[in-house]
Amino acid sequence: MKINANKIVEQVKQKLHQSSDIKSRLVQFFGCEVAIIYIADITDNLLMNNSLVYPMVSFSNEVSNNVYKELKDKVLSNHEINEYEKLDDAIDGMLKGMCLIAVSGAEKFLCCDMEKITTRPVMEPPTSVVIKGPREGFTESIKYNFALIRKRVKTDDLVIKTMEVGELTKTQIGIVYFNSVADKNVVKRIENTIKNIKIDGVLDAHYLISYLQRNKHSLFKQVGDVEKPDILVGKMMEGRVGIIVDGSPIVLTLPFVLLEDLQNSDDYYSQPVRVVFVRILRLIGVIFAVVLPGVYVSLEIYHYKILPTEFLVTIMNTTQGIPFSPFVEILFLILLFEILYEANLRMPQYFGMAMSIVGALILGETTVNAGLVSPPAVMIVALSGITFYIIPSQAAQFSVLRLIAIVIGACLGLYGMLIFCVFILSYLSSFDSYKSAYLAPTAPYIDNDQQDLFVRANIKEMKKRPKSIANNRKNANRRSNNED
Amino acid sequence: MKINYRQLSILVFMSFVALKFLALPSLLYVESKNMSWLVALVLMVLDAIYVFILLDLMKKSGQNNFYNFLKQCIGTMPAKIILIVLGLKYALVVANLSKGLEFFVVENFYERLNWVVFVLPLIILTGFMVYKGSRNIARVSEIICWPIILGCLYLAVKSIMGVEPLNFLPFLEEGIKPLAVSGFKHISWFGSCTFMFMLFGKVDFNNEKKSTMIKYIIISILLVQLIFIIFYGLFDVTSPTHNYCISDISQFSSGRSSIDELSWLVVSLWVSAQAVQLALYSYCLVQVIKFLFNVKSNAVPIFIVLLYIFMWSFIGEQTIRLENVFLTPYASIVTIVSQYVFPVFLLSAYHIKNAIFKHKHRQEVVNAIE
Repeated sequence: MKINANKIVEQVKQKLHQSSDIKSRLVQFFGCEVAIIYIADITDNLLMNNSLVYPMVSFSNEVSNNVYKELKDKVLSNHEINEYEKLDDAIDGMLKGMCLIAVSGAEKFLCCDMEKITTRPVMEPPTSVVIKGPREGFTESIKYNFALIRKRVKTDDLVIKTMEVGELTKTQIGIVYFNSVADKNVVKRIENTIKNIKIDGVLDAHYLISYLQRNKHSLFKQVGDVEKPDILVGKMMEGRVGIIVDGSPIVLTLPFVLLEDLQNSDDYYSQPVRVVFVRILRLIGVIFAVVLPGVYVSLEIYHYKILPTEFLVTIMNTTQGIPFSPFVEILFLILLFEILYEANLRMPQYFGMAMSIVGALILGETTVNAGLVSPPAVMIVALSGITFYIIPSQAAQFSVLRLIAIVIGACLGLYGMLIFCVFILSYLSSFDSYKSAYLAPTAPYIDNDQQDLFVRANIKEMKKRPKSIANNRKNANRRSNNED
Repeated sequence: MKINYRQLSILVFMSFVALKFLALPSLLYVESKNMSWLVALVLMVLDAIYVFILLDLMKKSGQNNFYNFLKQCIGTMPAKIILIVLGLKYALVVANLSKGLEFFVVENFYERLNWVVFVLPLIILTGFMVYKGSRNIARVSEIICWPIILGCLYLAVKSIMGVEPLNFLPFLEEGIKPLAVSGFKHISWFGSCTFMFMLFGKVDFNNEKKSTMIKYIIISILLVQLIFIIFYGLFDVTSPTHNYCISDISQFSSGRSSIDELSWLVVSLWVSAQAVQLALYSYCLVQVIKFLFNVKSNAVPIFIVLLYIFMWSFIGEQTIRLENVFLTPYASIVTIVSQYVFPVFLLSAYHIKNAIFKHKHRQEVVNAIE
């Protein structure tokens, strides 16, 4: 069917419900009417003028009868030109930032990529701050994010696949992995899962998590998230697959094992000896964060006799006259801490400092002076609260676990806490994430992977890819010429 | 859902040490006095030999579970009799572990503890772990194994200065007879590898390193011997009054004044280890019920086993000291039969059956040629 440029403009506007940001321009090109239709705010005007409008109006060479072909081959200087037979397909392209060109008398539509990428500049993400090492973080633009990865990986082994998810948002999702390293079955499963997602829209990477995780109702995180390209590439080199969502600076990674959150990109840029210390410190921090308030409550209620006498006397002196039970006291403080945290997080930055002073100094000091809570309880909650953020990506889970631990400590004492801890271990041991055991390489113990668990071996000595992550076993050796 | 060879070795280790650090040292002392450690050593070495016999049987069974293997070797009825005896052994161990844990927790952690408050969390944990299966139990054991080894070593190092070497002399003053009597009487506390029967067909022997099993068995024997020697070296003739070896060594108890914070951690770890062992033997009991009554689902057998644990807590609260049950000759006979007779019997049955099969096959070939 022959195209009529004038009518096409009307049809497009009608299809898009006369949206006011649909703009069009009719140009006469050697006696033939050409319609240029685009969405104003997502199209780069300068690019359009330079590569489309100006070449058309200034073209002075002779043209053959086939204006469409001449326009496509000789006039348009854009790097990406697509042809569509159906108007609906052309409109889809237009909605992604392309410029639709309809030539009267032609049978196909032309679409040129004129997308205006509006995103914040590449910055250091607030949750992955490093002292040494790269500071670039992902942005909300999938194209920028692909570029950040490509910048680090100059190999034909890198695979980037894109697909669209979301009936209304048609969000672009990218799957990135190394062809020779990632496990093919894992890649296929991820692809199938994403393809089968039926949802109105995907506004952030976290929308995909509930589709990707196998234990739907689990409290624990089952999908990894990174905000920096160097970390993502590091994980991909171990066999993981990255999932990038347009509009989100968070990239999801699979498979995920719990202990990978103990690792930090800093670890690979520091001395191995220091890393051992820091990783053990993180583990202790996690234990403190989750169980310390519960243990304190159980010791105060049931087991005060097992405290050393001097320590017991100190605690008794400070808790004398407190009107609440240790359980209520700790619960009250945690509530206070959580409120302060929430307020601090969402408050304008210039208020934040004032809030910290009011919260930490004034509120803390006055509640102790008023005799509502004891100093040891404040100390325990503060320590637990701070240690949460040793592993920020797990803070939400830890805070729920901490509450459960406090209730168990208050009801059952130390025995209950022990059973709770074994239960958690058992629960975590029971699930796998995409062919990888969740507690690997500890349970099951994998000898090869101990080189990057608590002890981080010298990078030169890490010749094998981790076995705790499902990856291509045929390519288990890292490419290395250090055979000595 | 198979477990690997290392995990099996760790389960053997845990089972070897699980029942040894509670009442056993004080009970052994009554008959075998300062030579009690020798009784434990001999019986543990015997157990270790049987681990390898069972490993051999496991490999011979291939992908078969224990019941199928039994049926192939000796037929259905004898198989069920063997399962009943094994079920008795597991039931004894489950009772011992749950009651032992209860007494231990109440004595060391609380002044008073309602038995329901004790048993409910334990039942939830056991039910969950049994439901999740042998791999889950093996993985949890893997995590807590080394902290337990290190904790026990810490206890040993801390207490070794108080050990009086002269307590172990004279050597074998009363001959071997009291040791044999003591060994027979308390053999129910040993027989630590019977759980392996229920793991037939569930162990992946790929990447098997024989040294791993040997390493964990040696560690368990050395650890038990170390703790026993320290216990007798510290308490000597007063040993029978110390019912909770691990906490008494560390001088840990809520009623005592001398407290050591790290020992407290070790004792806590020990409670976790006992709970995991309870799950392991409950799992074995569930498997026996499933085989015996041909039940496919896990829910009913698990419910029965949990009810059994609950009942023990309830009955034990009323009258019975568990040691009395464990000290009966019947319990010893069950252990001897299940741990020491069955493996040898099954190995012989397997070889005889194989020999008969080969003979028949050869005859068939000869007949066919003729």
